[in-house]
Amino acid sequence: MVLKQMLYSTAVAGLLTAPAIAQDLDAMSVDDLLPLAQQEGTVTVYSFTSRIASVEAAFEEAYPGIDMIGFDMSSTEQITRIRAESDAGISNVDVVYISDAPVVVTELLEAGLIANYVPPRMDGRLDDEFTSPLLAQRLSTKVLMYNEEANPDGAPVDNLWALTTEDWTGRVVMVDPLQRGDYLDLMTEIVLQSDAMAEAYEAQFGEAIALDADAQNAGEQFIIDLFANDVILVSSTDDVNAAVGATGQDNPPVGFTSYSDRRDNEDEGWALQVANDVAPSNGIIFPALIGLATNPANPAAARLAIDFLMGDDSETGGPGFAPFAVPGDYATRNDITNHPDAVALDEFIAWRIDPVASAEIRQDVADLILVLQ
Amino acid sequence: MIGIDALTKDFGEGPVVDAVSLSVPQGAFLVLVGPSGCGKSTMLRMLAGLEKPTSGTITFGDVKVSDGESGWTIAPSRRDTGLVFQSYALWPHMTVAGNVDWPLKVAGLDKAERSTRVAEVLGLLGIEQLARRYPNEISGGQQQRVAIARMIAPKPKIMLFDEPLSNLDAKLRVEMRSELMRVHRATGATSVYVTHDQVEAMTMASHVAVLNRGRIQQFGTPRDLVADPATAFVATFVGTPPANLIEVEPAQDGIAFAGEILPASFPLDGPAQAMFLPETLRVSREAGPRTIALEFAEASPVAGRVMVTGARAGLRLTAVVDDVPGFMPGDTLYFAIPEVPAALFSVDGERLA
Amino acid sequence: MTFSGTIARVRAGQLPQGLVLKLVVLALLGVLVAAPLMRIVLETLAPDAIGAWTDVIASRLSRNLLWVPLSNTLILGFGTAVICVAAGGFLAWLVVMTDVPFRRTIAVMATLPFMIPGFATALAWTTLFRNNRLGGQSGFLESLGLTIPDWLSWGIVPSLVVLSAHYYSLAFAIIAAALASINSDLVEAAQMAGARRARILSGIVLPVALPALLSAGALSFAEAVSNFAIPAILGLPVRMQTMATRLYGLIEIGQSGRGFVIAILLIAVSAFFLWLGMRVINGRRTFATITGKGGRAKRMPLGAARWPLFAFAAAICSTTTIIPVLVLIISSLSTSSSQLFSSWTLHYWLGASNPDFAQGQAGIVHNPFILDAIGTTVTLGLVVAVTGTIVGLLVAYTLARYRTGLASGAIEQLSFVPLLLPGIGFAAAYIALFGTPIGPFPALYGTLTLLVIAATASLIPFAVQSGRAVIQQVSGDLEESARLTGAGFLRRLAAITVPLAARGIVAGALLIFVKIMRELALVVVLFTPATPVLAVLAYRYASEGFAQFANAIAVVILAISALATILANILQNRSQPWLKS
Repeated sequence: MVLKQMLYSTAVAGLLTAPAIAQDLDAMSVDDLLPLAQQEGTVTVYSFTSRIASVEAAFEEAYPGIDMIGFDMSSTEQITRIRAESDAGISNVDVVYISDAPVVVTELLEAGLIANYVPPRMDGRLDDEFTSPLLAQRLSTKVLMYNEEANPDGAPVDNLWALTTEDWTGRVVMVDPLQRGDYLDLMTEIVLQSDAMAEAYEAQFGEAIALDADAQNAGEQFIIDLFANDVILVSSTDDVNAAVGATGQDNPPVGFTSYSDRRDNEDEGWALQVANDVAPSNGIIFPALIGLATNPANPAAARLAIDFLMGDDSETGGPGFAPFAVPGDYATRNDITNHPDAVALDEFIAWRIDPVASAEIRQDVADLILVLQ
Repeated sequence: MIGIDALTKDFGEGPVVDAVSLSVPQGAFLVLVGPSGCGKSTMLRMLAGLEKPTSGTITFGDVKVSDGESGWTIAPSRRDTGLVFQSYALWPHMTVAGNVDWPLKVAGLDKAERSTRVAEVLGLLGIEQLARRYPNEISGGQQQRVAIARMIAPKPKIMLFDEPLSNLDAKLRVEMRSELMRVHRATGATSVYVTHDQVEAMTMASHVAVLNRGRIQQFGTPRDLVADPATAFVATFVGTPPANLIEVEPAQDGIAFAGEILPASFPLDGPAQAMFLPETLRVSREAGPRTIALEFAEASPVAGRVMVTGARAGLRLTAVVDDVPGFMPGDTLYFAIPEVPAALFSVDGERLA
Repeated sequence: MTFSGTIARVRAGQLPQGLVLKLVVLALLGVLVAAPLMRIVLETLAPDAIGAWTDVIASRLSRNLLWVPLSNTLILGFGTAVICVAAGGFLAWLVVMTDVPFRRTIAVMATLPFMIPGFATALAWTTLFRNNRLGGQSGFLESLGLTIPDWLSWGIVPSLVVLSAHYYSLAFAIIAAALASINSDLVEAAQMAGARRARILSGIVLPVALPALLSAGALSFAEAVSNFAIPAILGLPVRMQTMATRLYGLIEIGQSGRGFVIAILLIAVSAFFLWLGMRVINGRRTFATITGKGGRAKRMPLGAARWPLFAFAAAICSTTTIIPVLVLIISSLSTSSSQLFSSWTLHYWLGASNPDFAQGQAGIVHNPFILDAIGTTVTLGLVVAVTGTIVGLLVAYTLARYRTGLASGAIEQLSFVPLLLPGIGFAAAYIALFGTPIGPFPALYGTLTLLVIAATASLIPFAVQSGRAVIQQVSGDLEESARLTGAGFLRRLAAITVPLAARGIVAGALLIFVKIMRELALVVVLFTPATPVLAVLAYRYASEGFAQFANAIAVVILAISALATILANILQNRSQPWLKS
């Protein structure tokens, strides 16, 4: 009996997601989606940022009768879950809001575990690089931040290599790159940018870099030196923020975290500030991606939620985008003005990651870090 | 050798041992006998030094070893006593030889001396071949022998036994009884032996103290106790089978025996209990001049004679007779009682005559 | 003669039924215990996964993937075992064999730490001892102006302390029960021999209690090596990894091949040392004391040491029970761990979602995730209490009824195996087995069913233990006489066994419930958003920096566990034999 029911519902799900119907839904406007979505009544979102809680409140206010269930989960964890759910032939999620592009693109999108959906309303409002292979909602960062209360004259660091010197022994904080993909992406990018790292080395120490036996390039050498200098690993970005940003510290550490977390300075009692004058760069800037589950239980509500996450037609993006319209986040939409308090995107020195190149050497970098731990 | 004076122990719920006084000479075999809960084990533990008396004193030879008033007591190990526990208390992680050896080791004897002594006592108890076994690998009787061997190894002047035979079967018990007597003689120590089994008491003791509710009922030789019991309790507690007690009362034409008026003429002032030894009763199928009718309860052969018991509500009599016709349960028996009782006790158990 | 002949005939007539029962139980244990283990091994032998073995065991990664975590694991395992046996044994000795004051209170206190979830004790530790290595907020002690060195804030030492504080109550219970069974005559016999207190302790009490000490040590070891949360919370800032944290990390980042290899090795390590412990214990003679009428149990007078020893015991008990619970409660009320006694707020309990607080997370009573998780966790606990009890009774009954035979032997062995399996490794095996559909059966990943099955399986040894106690309560004679009347198995179970044993069964079920409530290692890997469990939620809050929420949830778990335990104790009406004077 139960088995029969299950087969039946699988069949129905299969029918609903048949390409024809999916394409129909893809083309539908918000007004057409809404009644279908209300019928579905609920939508489940995995989100790599805790700001989903605010989106949830705004969404439910905008669309009464549709319950958004947002789960705050790191990108790494989302990827593992989605793969496990796919192995198990189930789908707990409708929408994934995720970073970690190198893995998402190669292992989720190309493997068919998630699909791309660009709301029709977004036509012409995004550059092509932000609609394909996956829709990018904004650009997020993992960059070097410092405590501006303790350093009123600006960043205490002007070269990444300074972090490997005695001054910063045990005073650089980041999340364990083996636990959070964003940080592995940061390390990977540093390896990819080995030439720039080698140049910066000379700028810092006045001599050409000499590689250890186990380092193949300047990037790897940097990672080796950073770990040798007792970099402190924590388990979440908020731990980095608290460590670096908490006010009232005499000698606060610096750390790699999200530029946008500066928005919480006042609420949390932090004094986070970005170091934007660092050679060769202060970190990475990467897209926050939105994907549609391949077999969503709530296909209409899922599309409605994605549309909502992209912001309304106002200049700020309205309530759906409000949690992201903060200094340190950069909208991908060309018609939304970035926050005036932040460093302008074209002046921001972070490296833009290359998902495909990253994906190629990511595992090697992870193994290197494993050895260093 | 052992002097006990006004010894009292109270755990806080009334005295368990109540003002007990007695003394026995060197080499005596003192048996403390009484029903369970009579305080005999507590007395033994006070002799061992494991409990402090609440009041009263204990003297070994010329040495006062416990004094309740001053709360002073010599430690168990320095009293020159040994104790065999009811549970034997063999240390399960040591071999038989190890068990016997350990107290000697604690006492600081050197190795050669110890192994000689261990072999000696194991030989005395006939358990040399068990030396390397563990306690749980040998039988109950063998465990008992090990416990005794362990106790005598340090050559204590006083040997204490706490119901040592109660966990053994009947045959083994008889065997061990003589074994213990032999050990007692061989060591020449003074022994104090606690039991609830009056047969053990009667067969082994040179001196018996019958205890009930913490008090001494009678202290004397086994023969004294049977022939001349000091209280009704002693009368019904010792002897095999124990003596019969019948409630008696002066009546118009004689004396009422458990309500039945029989012609009898011993002096009697009021209600009392009359003691008749089992071997002085006669049993027949017919009523006689001084007979009491009872229903047949049981009969068992004892050493060539027969022990017959008859009962009715409130009265139970046992006779030991030479021969007995085949009674069936339900038959009526007539117990003929002698003219004069062996002893008279007051209603509350005091000896009258 | 005729009578026993009848019994023999009845037995002979029942034999096929016994076989059926045995096979059913065996099959059940096969699915629950053996299958996941085989699956996880097969998984790592697949062509694309076999390389994981080389990665883990013999590559440049091995040092950090295996050897360093392995040595940390062993240090924590042995260290915890030694401390637990020492502390638990000391308290057990005080409570059972001496005249220390407030024995009853000490006995109750010593069993409490096991009810506090381990990660909660770890959180309490960081609240107090956190130093400025991480910068940011400092712990309470540093805020008082003390300087806490790294080794006391993070890594092996605090992990060892917290693990020991958590598991010594296990050792206490085992050792206290063993000491209580030691006839006080043994000690008095030694006293008669003239041995002094220390000599009696080292010459008699310790050797006789040795099997209990060893099994307490072996169990503490097994629990410590499989504990995940405590080293995870206290170890990361100094990059300390144990096999359990490594396994969790690998599973979480999707490197399941390497993860499974670590899981197998962890299981092997844990099983090896437990097996070694058991062997040593079995190799010794069982010191079943010869029972006789024991005299009045006599307690060793401590004399002048009475109060100092009491003070020491009280210090152990209060630092492991009262202080962590107080710290948890207080820190769930204060906005910062450096200001425990000021800036109190009820937000983390009662507040509505407010962007100014904890990124808009609502307080417990308004937080849908937490409320959801409470529901899921309690449901899980209740269901597993039922399933676990049924399996436990079934196995215990089968073993009691049919003691010999190949099948019974296999049942006995299999029902013991989960004890050797660290929860986190067990969970990994379950994902491997039930993560994909098996024939007509759908995959169970992400379902409560999977949690129920895994939790039931992991608790089999525990459930069988309580099952045995229950079966023992029911006199075999009664059952035998019912068999002679021709009642069938189920009828006998329902008419005789169950009514006689109902209280014991319910008490056992409640204790299973408590174990599930605070279980983390098993569920942390099986956790999905569809099956939120309180302990995991608390752990995640803790690792995301919302310590107050984590602490508040820990308090909720503690309250539920405490209620259930009290209820179980009342039902069981279990007089703790070592408390009788």
